[in-house]
Amino acid sequence: MIRIEGLTYTGKGGRVILKDIHCAFAAGKLTAVLGANGAGKSTLFKCINGEVRFRQGIISWDDRDMKTLPVSELSKKKAVLRQHYQVSLPFTAREIVEMGRYAYFRTYPTERCKEVIALITELVGITHLMDRSYLTLSGGEQQRVQLARVMAQVWDSPTEERLLLLDEPVSALDIQYQHQLMQMMQQLTREYGFTVIAIVHDLNLTLQYADDILMLDKGSVVDQGRAVSVLTEQNIQRVFGISVLIEKNSLDQLYIQVTPLKLETISL
Amino acid sequence: MIKLKKYIVGILIAGLIISVLLSLGLGAYVIYPETIFNNIVSALGGSVAVDDVAYKVFWYIRMPRVVLAILVGATLAVAGVGFQGLFRNPLADASLIGVGSGATLAAIFAIVLGGTLLLSFQTVLGQYLLNISAFIGAILSILVVYRLSRSQGKTHVAIMLLAGIAINAIVGAASGLITLAAKDEQLRTITFWSLGSLGGANWKNILALLPFVVVTTVVMPFMGKPLNALALGEQDAVSMGIPIERVKNIIMIVCAIGVGACVAMTGMIGFVGLVIPHIFRLLLGPEHKKLIIVSALGGAILLLLSDLVSRTIIAPVEIPIGIITSLIGGPFFIYLLLKEKNKNIF
Repeated sequence: MIRIEGLTYTGKGGRVILKDIHCAFAAGKLTAVLGANGAGKSTLFKCINGEVRFRQGIISWDDRDMKTLPVSELSKKKAVLRQHYQVSLPFTAREIVEMGRYAYFRTYPTERCKEVIALITELVGITHLMDRSYLTLSGGEQQRVQLARVMAQVWDSPTEERLLLLDEPVSALDIQYQHQLMQMMQQLTREYGFTVIAIVHDLNLTLQYADDILMLDKGSVVDQGRAVSVLTEQNIQRVFGISVLIEKNSLDQLYIQVTPLKLETISL
Repeated sequence: MIKLKKYIVGILIAGLIISVLLSLGLGAYVIYPETIFNNIVSALGGSVAVDDVAYKVFWYIRMPRVVLAILVGATLAVAGVGFQGLFRNPLADASLIGVGSGATLAAIFAIVLGGTLLLSFQTVLGQYLLNISAFIGAILSILVVYRLSRSQGKTHVAIMLLAGIAINAIVGAASGLITLAAKDEQLRTITFWSLGSLGGANWKNILALLPFVVVTTVVMPFMGKPLNALALGEQDAVSMGIPIERVKNIIMIVCAIGVGACVAMTGMIGFVGLVIPHIFRLLLGPEHKKLIIVSALGGAILLLLSDLVSRTIIAPVEIPIGIITSLIGGPFFIYLLLKEKNKNIF
């Protein structure tokens, strides 16, 4: 369980980006962080990942202040998957995945590392890509290789202590890969007990796959809890400024439909 | 290709041995392999008859030069890998971030003003004034570039590259200005020095160089994993548990020390730090630990052979070695670029 209490983050020039955030991310669940651009999602993400320093508030993981956790421990329990990686050198997919195990070996990957990598690449479905140059892979394949890397990084930690932070992991992918990756996340949380916190933009994708949702607006928490109870027409109107209809489709799944914007509200 | 990758270290070691034998043997005075062997045995206390001239040429002229070439070549190539990995930029090189030009400015300063402004230093330091000035120049310029690119406890690589370019411009202007005050004879020294030469090789110099070079070549192979992780991004390397700020500092200092010491001893020998890492990256892929070790061997071979050519091709005239390395490296580099242009390397 990741718990955030009273987190306030002030950016350059004294602009308050996050104010007095109180929230929690349940272990073993997929929690989506939603909010319009500039709501503070990325900053919150950076605070959890320890990328930026904040003066006020505490982020604790299983009741231990994350600031006090040693890097060597965190690097085996927490991993980050981003939207895009600017890799300019022709590493093979295998070399990229092996980087996920850097905290576990000194010079050459251990037998255990090889076992884990073999298992994960099978799971993610990239075994046939392992000897290809990363630069020649498609966007979806690259993202799966990176996913394998972050999974390999936390794989050996106890079930409830594996945290994946995903920063818009599917935004650059086509619709098939988007669903593949989100299904993968669902599987990781339900079958393997991973804790996943993901910034996602697609509301329907969120509704379909997330267990919980944290909704931010202008640096404050608007709502948090079960996905269906947070993704309401009112909340969406408030945070994104669009009116939507939430209905059941023929498969008995909820889906969100945006009602057309009035012309005068589309001002560029 | 697969086989080449597997045996590359063996091939390079064999290449290095052949290059060493060629460099030891060829020159104005030819020393044959059995004489080389006899000279070594004799020096180790064995009772073999050796020609006195051959012995002296071997131990006091050829051998120091060979050792210097190996040390400088390996260090420049390893530092090249380091800078390129650190800046995540395949064009990064000691000369680009100002290390080379800083050293050159200080050296020109010492050559031109050594007899006047720095007279008291010259009496104390003697012939080492030039080397020490160049070393100080290299370290100072990297410090300036480094300070400029630091803010809030972090190093900004883009600013660092730009700072390097600025330093290069300033230093270039200052060098030009000092050169105006130089006499003809000093101009020759400046030209020769800025193109590089291994002509100053002797055991004393090598001993002075050794500690710095050892630091670079011994520390850098341990930086393989961090350099790989850096290729994904600094923050991602941190997530993988790599203490990135410390690693960046180590790589920068260690590479600057090595390059500074080499430039101080031999002048600016271009292209080794740029071309060698590139060649092996194209052959073996970008994995840095392997790349560093292989580049060290490759750099040593390139410099040995270049030096051999520089002192034999129009003997007794010696061509500055920087000209040779650029003549070998440049076209080869263009060939590789043409071949790999479509493979998304950059």
